[in-house]
Amino acid sequence: MAFKVHFFDGKTSRTHEASVSANSVNWKICYVDENAMPIEISWNPQKIKKADVYTEGLVSFTYGDTFPFQKLESTDEQFINYVNNSHQHLRSSIDLLLHKSKWRSIVFLLIGILGIGFVSYFYVIPTVATGFATSLSQENVIDFGDHVFNVLSVESKMNENASKELQDFVDEMEISSEFPLKVYVAESEELNAFALSGGKIVVFSSLLKKIETKEQLAALIGHEVSHIENRHMLKNIARNFGGAIFVSVLFGDINGATTVLMENAHLLGQLSFTRSLEKEADIFGLDIMRDNNLNLHGMPELFEILKKETAVDVPSYLSNHPMLKDRIEYTIEIAEQQEMILENRVLDLKWKAIKEAI
Amino acid sequence: MDLISVKSRTKASLKYLGEGTEFAIIYLKNIILTLLSLGLYYPWAKVEILKYHYQSTELDQARFSFHATGKEVFKGFIKIYVIFIFLYGFLFYALRTQNQVLTVAAVSIFYLLLILIVPFAIHGAVRYRSSRSSWKGIHFKYLGDRTEFFWLYMKGALLTICTLGIYGAWFHVDMRKYIFSHLRFGNLSFNFKGNGGDLFVINLKFVILFYLTLGIYSFWYYRNLVRFYVDNTSLVQNGKEVKFKTNMQAGDVFELLFINGLLLVFTLGIAMPWVTVRTLNFFFRFLEIDGELNTNAIQQASYDNYDDAIGDDMLDFFDIDLL
Repeated sequence: MAFKVHFFDGKTSRTHEASVSANSVNWKICYVDENAMPIEISWNPQKIKKADVYTEGLVSFTYGDTFPFQKLESTDEQFINYVNNSHQHLRSSIDLLLHKSKWRSIVFLLIGILGIGFVSYFYVIPTVATGFATSLSQENVIDFGDHVFNVLSVESKMNENASKELQDFVDEMEISSEFPLKVYVAESEELNAFALSGGKIVVFSSLLKKIETKEQLAALIGHEVSHIENRHMLKNIARNFGGAIFVSVLFGDINGATTVLMENAHLLGQLSFTRSLEKEADIFGLDIMRDNNLNLHGMPELFEILKKETAVDVPSYLSNHPMLKDRIEYTIEIAEQQEMILENRVLDLKWKAIKEAI
Repeated sequence: MDLISVKSRTKASLKYLGEGTEFAIIYLKNIILTLLSLGLYYPWAKVEILKYHYQSTELDQARFSFHATGKEVFKGFIKIYVIFIFLYGFLFYALRTQNQVLTVAAVSIFYLLLILIVPFAIHGAVRYRSSRSSWKGIHFKYLGDRTEFFWLYMKGALLTICTLGIYGAWFHVDMRKYIFSHLRFGNLSFNFKGNGGDLFVINLKFVILFYLTLGIYSFWYYRNLVRFYVDNTSLVQNGKEVKFKTNMQAGDVFELLFINGLLLVFTLGIAMPWVTVRTLNFFFRFLEIDGELNTNAIQQASYDNYDDAIGDDMLDFFDIDLL
């Protein structure tokens, strides 16, 4: 059977109306050239190069190992069917399948992309990020924390005397930490404290002034040590970074509105993750207090102080911390179950020394 | 023997025949494969998408072909990543030492190399794309000289910096002129006759009128820009000049962008393939070949089998568009 094709000899752009008689071992291409001479060319089907892309109702092939290459194009439905049925290496069965029922394929592909996106974002990225943060060597974690510490230039606002007394207090507590703990008191009006990867804790003086008992201070220290021990900062950064890259790669090239939407969704998701880390730190902090036989009620009391000083208790879904109201509730619940509380004179003395120093 | 001449004397026109649903399948399939392969499939995806656009573009009942392979583009990316790993490695090493002299040197070298690399990337990209593009079996070819282009670029870039960007229009036109004058399609050559002054005026009018018209002038600006590029481009066949023309109007641009915008916003970006097809279709719909181009008499010239895709990949890496 002969099929209609357009043949190009590779020497000029002349279109030759040609016919192809094809079988599995030979394609015979016949046409009449510009001098009215009949021309016959043979193609070995095994050496034909396909276009590697699907376009409806059109096939094109090139031929030849050396330049100039010959080419044929055809819109002959019979020829297209012949190629699809008889020359498997010249067509892609996946493409044929996908283009058979176009809208159905589009829906399937979209579902596939959503599925992959969902699994990657909610499972793969968090697992990899946490794995990365956990497997980083101790030395690298300390290096990273030191780098952030230098950037924050806390040292310029340092209260050296209070820092020394607070360090004594922490050293007296029984804390088994992977990292050497180093605490600093920085002069600031802000009611805050934070921990950096690798063992550094910074407590702002105004918070220290508001704290009334050694138990409340131990609760604060326990909470911050938990961030350090569980590498929360690294986990948070790794997850945030991974998620942000994922969102920008998937949606960055599409349009501004979608990107903003997805970035905000990512931000809210990230806040929820940070909240879960905060809760973990509260619980772990209580463990440290229990190890030191200190009254666990110090923790909810600390939150009461913070609550009193904070004008609005931000709804948790908009904040990186759980609502203080909730934190008070769940820490009281745990504190109620405490079995043993012992006096600790040494810590009492250290606590007094801190109070005098600020 | 004019009576039996088979020379095509009718006006040739370019058409884009791609279809949204067809392209969507190719586009979405490639997103899935790229995601599943953690990005490694990207070169093959990029090539298939370009192949689709080429094969959907028709002139005189024949389609264009793109002959690049994913493997070539992949190799290009590997080279870029090796270069950047070394560059970043050096940068981070310098930052870690906290030695100020070394840090300043590393940062300077890093940015200097980024600037110096661009002309080489453009040259490589044009040469690779040309060598891999054909129509009716006739290949494109870029004959530009890398060193010559590099100095042209450096001169333009320096003058643009010194004039706080004003020279940018002339710089841009000079590069375009150089590239087009060294571009061949078989035995046809190209010309770009625009001048920097005209482009500068187009841009200046945009800067002034954009705010005065609350952005509405953008549609006229886009039309003027396309006209400037298209109307100043021509082909030369056997000493005769064949011009390109576009009769696009600002209203057409508004319709294109407005509907594209609606499609993207209301589908959260899913309509991207349809938007791409609409845009290409739009561009070619207004593109005319104004003059007698004998589409049957283009002679094949020598072949530049340039398989190094690093320049093309580099532009992709920097998100610079070739056109």
